[in-house]
Amino acid sequence: MVGQKSDTAHLYDGKTIRSSAPSRKKAAGRMKGSTVIPKDAIPEVHVPSIIESFFGGPIVTKTKFLPPDRVVQTLQMSAAIILTLLSIVTFTVTPVSGTAWFWLSDLMDLPTLGVVVHLFLIGIGFIGGMYGIFQREQRAILISYVALILVTIRFAGSKVEFGIDLLPDGEISQKLLLISYALFLVMYIELTSGVIRFSMLDKSIRTGEVYVMNVKKITSQYYRSLLITPVVAGSVALVTLMINLIIPSIVGLLGSDAAADRLAESVELTSVYGVALGTAVVFMIVASAFAVNLPVRLAQMRENGSK
Amino acid sequence: MAWSRKSAMFASLAVALYLLGLVLRNQQLVTVAVVLLSFLTWAAFRTTNADVSSSGRRMDEDVSAGGVALQNLVALRKLSSARVFEDGEIDVSIRIQNKSNLSKVLEVRDRVPEVMRIKKGANYVLMELGPQRETEIAYTIEAPLRGFYTIGPVCIRIQDTFGLFHNEREIHLYDDFLVFPKMEDIKDALIKSRVPKIFTGAVNIRNPGEGSNFYNLREYVPGDAMKKVNWKATARSGGKLMVNEFERDAVSDIILLVDSRSVSETGPVSRNSLVYSTRAAASLSQYFLSRRDSVGLVVYGDEIVSVDRDTGKKQLYVILTKLAGAMAKGNTPLKVVTNRIMPHINRGSPIIILSPLEEDPTIIEAVRDLRSRNFDVTILSPSSLEFEFDARRLDRTGYELLKTERDILMSELRGLGANVMDWEPDMLLNTALSGARGF
Repeated sequence: MVGQKSDTAHLYDGKTIRSSAPSRKKAAGRMKGSTVIPKDAIPEVHVPSIIESFFGGPIVTKTKFLPPDRVVQTLQMSAAIILTLLSIVTFTVTPVSGTAWFWLSDLMDLPTLGVVVHLFLIGIGFIGGMYGIFQREQRAILISYVALILVTIRFAGSKVEFGIDLLPDGEISQKLLLISYALFLVMYIELTSGVIRFSMLDKSIRTGEVYVMNVKKITSQYYRSLLITPVVAGSVALVTLMINLIIPSIVGLLGSDAAADRLAESVELTSVYGVALGTAVVFMIVASAFAVNLPVRLAQMRENGSK
Repeated sequence: MAWSRKSAMFASLAVALYLLGLVLRNQQLVTVAVVLLSFLTWAAFRTTNADVSSSGRRMDEDVSAGGVALQNLVALRKLSSARVFEDGEIDVSIRIQNKSNLSKVLEVRDRVPEVMRIKKGANYVLMELGPQRETEIAYTIEAPLRGFYTIGPVCIRIQDTFGLFHNEREIHLYDDFLVFPKMEDIKDALIKSRVPKIFTGAVNIRNPGEGSNFYNLREYVPGDAMKKVNWKATARSGGKLMVNEFERDAVSDIILLVDSRSVSETGPVSRNSLVYSTRAAASLSQYFLSRRDSVGLVVYGDEIVSVDRDTGKKQLYVILTKLAGAMAKGNTPLKVVTNRIMPHINRGSPIIILSPLEEDPTIIEAVRDLRSRNFDVTILSPSSLEFEFDARRLDRTGYELLKTERDILMSELRGLGANVMDWEPDMLLNTALSGARGF
């Protein structure tokens, strides 16, 4: 149509174009008889998968490591020991009843199939984990995490139930066993992550990308944290799980023994909802500590105090 | 406090397991979630107290005054040189001082320009710094490309031992340095003024060389022209051939025109016309200034930047600084440049144009004007076609076609009386100049 703007004209509205116009000579030079695009003209483009697009990158990056140094070897051994303990504890604390595969095998009238699937999942968790730890293969480690968490997902009927009947019946010992299971799982996750992290750090040190002053002190600090943190996390978890004993004893201290007895026998407090209540109480205290900026204030107090 | 990817994964796993545990009434899941949350909370609590036992050297109290501080951390940087030539090295040392009475585990990264290469040491250091202690980080960078650069800021990161949370701050400590274009040693006097300068100024040259004034007599050495032989003196000396030496003519004004239009950056970053032109201009300036000529520089791109003619070492640094800052921008035609500078330069002065001779329809007209006013024009043209062809951005047919067009243009310029040299990559400047002058 006469007087109408070309399709791309709006792109240049209000813009100052400083550079020269593309060279017609060069354009002519680039024109070829065939329309085949030369191979070296196509850059390598990584098209992200759906998962990568969702998470903004690969979940597990491929990394080549140098042979493990002493720190990494120590962490690998620790992770292997923890994984072995975790697999044993997982086998003992997670019965097959209540799981999806138990329900399916029951439906198919093949009760042993459920047990096989259950053991298979624990086996995958163990073997995948061992392979991942020593080969430093993050995908195998991730599969191991998933298998070991998946095996615990079951309808539990709000009652602690174990896979082996020989385990203690006492409430406190049962909860201690649960906490040790949770701690082993978390420590396994942390140690395997430490294996990868320290392998990366070692590679960066050896390739000269990063220089670490006093490596021994930094690693010894990590080892110390590996000992202290589980104790702290376990203690917090114990308080949370013992809320059904703590609340009645507080109520008992306030003078109402009958109410305390009734609370102690309450099904809600002994069940998973009691744990939820405990979590809410404990983490409300923790949240308020962070809300008043307690960690920073404590750090400032330490600095000022030492001055 | 910033969350890492790991802590985000821990938190989401904890929340998911907690909710799933409540829905399925599964105490195992809830317990795992509680332990995970406790783990995270403790790590977050520890991040603000990332202290360990002390190490490092005792701090000298008097040096802290010059540094830049971030709360209790002070950084001081020292560069071995603020001016280097391309491919030169700069030693950088940073002193980090912990002025608090608590130890800190720090990740220190001194930000260096992307084009720089770390030759020795590391600019990224993980360290543990004790109370009232300091430590020194040293590294060497190599500067492969000319330009103005800045080192800094110093990024400090304090992280918990599990890598879950970190605090990151920047110490705004900056140091500027300049990378001059690389210079090539030019051995021979390839370019001379045909017309002595009218006003010689205060510079009195007492050097033998090409000129009209008698300087002294000396014995003949192989290579001397026979026309220089003084036969009378030879007869008097008893058979020894004697030659006349002349005092070099007065200094010349040499004008260097460097094309820094956007087209001059065609090709790879380290191998393009502008890089070659600036190196050639630097080498020529050094050569002429060492010969006590006066050198002027004009860099044209989006604007015309000029350095007035002058002599001496100071002038060399002025020229090198301008060349270091030359950016490929704009499209100012050569004719505009010559029109502007012609009234200000002496007729007959050598003019050296360093240009890829592309996308400028005024080149022929500009050179014709210069020649008609008796300027001695030399054109050194780094060929961007070669750069593009080497980088495989141009196919054979296109290259041949453009090369033919370029050759025609050069022949036309030669026809106007200009000395033109097609400067191909990897050809030494000396060789290129010899070609341009027909030596």
